[in-house]
Amino acid sequence: MDRRYIYLACGAVHFFIIFSASCRDSFWLLSQGYSFLPRSLDETWRKAQTVASAALGEHLSSNNPVRQFIAAYAHCAGIQSGYGYFAPNVPDSYKVVFEFRYPDGRTEVDLPHVGAAAAGLRLAALLDRIGENRSDQLREAVIKMLAQSVWRDHPGAISARAVFGYIKLPTTAEFLRDKTESYQVLYSYDFSFESGPAGSKAP
Amino acid sequence: MDRERFGERLTQFFFPITSDRWLSILRWGLALQVCLYGLSLRRDWSFLYATGRGLIDRALTEQLFSLESLFTPRMGWLVRLGIFLGFSETRVLDFIWMALVIAGCCLGLGLLCRSAAISAWLLHLCSVKSGGMMSYGMDNFTTIGLFYLMVAPLPDEYSLDHQWRKWQTKNPRLHGFFRRGLQLHLCFIYFFGGMTKSLGTGWWNGESVWRALTCPPFNIIAPQNLIVFRHFFPLVGIMICLLEAGYPVFIWLKKTRLVWLAGILGMHIGIAMTMGMYLFASIMIILNLAAFGPGLLHAEREGTSLWPQEVA
Repeated sequence: MDRRYIYLACGAVHFFIIFSASCRDSFWLLSQGYSFLPRSLDETWRKAQTVASAALGEHLSSNNPVRQFIAAYAHCAGIQSGYGYFAPNVPDSYKVVFEFRYPDGRTEVDLPHVGAAAAGLRLAALLDRIGENRSDQLREAVIKMLAQSVWRDHPGAISARAVFGYIKLPTTAEFLRDKTESYQVLYSYDFSFESGPAGSKAP
Repeated sequence: MDRERFGERLTQFFFPITSDRWLSILRWGLALQVCLYGLSLRRDWSFLYATGRGLIDRALTEQLFSLESLFTPRMGWLVRLGIFLGFSETRVLDFIWMALVIAGCCLGLGLLCRSAAISAWLLHLCSVKSGGMMSYGMDNFTTIGLFYLMVAPLPDEYSLDHQWRKWQTKNPRLHGFFRRGLQLHLCFIYFFGGMTKSLGTGWWNGESVWRALTCPPFNIIAPQNLIVFRHFFPLVGIMICLLEAGYPVFIWLKKTRLVWLAGILGMHIGIAMTMGMYLFASIMIILNLAAFGPGLLHAEREGTSLWPQEVA
């Protein structure tokens, strides 16, 4: 058999996965009602998303070898997700603020920080993922880890309150009327680290 | 007869005769990208990927990633191997960073191209998947580029492997096939990106442009300076939708190819300058230049171009 047909067959599978993943993620965006299309179509987009997911084997059980093979290949080729960045509209960005309390009643406010701007973009991506996450347990666990990483700079603190929210940006018209961005609280968590933050030196 | 003709045209489209210049551009570009990626994260490398003493515990992100895929490489595998060999986690993480940068340098020189491409892909993939919750679009596009480079017919004419070690370059039709793959992939990327943007009102009235430029951490230009240009935001938004959604059509037409490519490159340069997303912009520019750059201004040496009817 001509080797070219083997290349073509591999290419066809590769592009089928790209197409299915792109459709799945686009249909998901549409089913959330983020577009200007009528909300009555939401259910149709949800069904279309289910079909696209099924094409990627996502209806199979999580340990099914076909599903695992497709997932592994897609991740290795970087084609596991669609390309709807900043679409249909630019989402809100999230922010977390920590308030550390000391035994003498003093409090200090701090934000999670990284060394360089490149890691700053990753921190922003992490906050977006926390904000979009629907699992309360996971959200709390990740925010607790962030609190621990910041606590290393506040070794004497006995407890921390984490306030997670999103930044509401003004529209151009609102900005012209001197309205500035505001912080809308979504969740707040209290952590107490009796044994001190993980990885920190004992106070 | 018709079936034969169809098969012939299909072959001509997917296996056009192409020089290996696209591969040189992809190799040089990704070498630069991998090195910049490594250098930009040098200070935070351990903080991002260490277990228990970093920003987010790597064990948690890897566990979450296991729900999606059990067999995709990740940093934990390499760390476990290093610990088995008697190294500490910190040493293994340092070694991974160093190996990534060295693989990038080898790619740039074209020395042991295939091994360097596989190493760069593997190490980059491990770092991206282990930092899953902290990854963003740029990581995905770098993985895509490295994947194509890894499976492409290396070495190319300008690599040290060819110049110095005299390793032969591959069949021009094979180059055509892999370049076509990259071209088609970019068409999918821009089409879906443009189409989904077009379905939001924000890109038509310019609000999405304003929001993209003012939302943290992309707000590197003060809003007081940006608001002066508010009347241009709808135009910019519509242009972005048109450039992206129209890419799969206009990048193939001879008359519009240069304009479209210049527009897309301009858009990515704009993203870098106004939003500070330098690595994201650079990877998109690299992929576009590799896919559609060679033969754009001057016909390639073989006298072939992108569209099948131009192939003899």
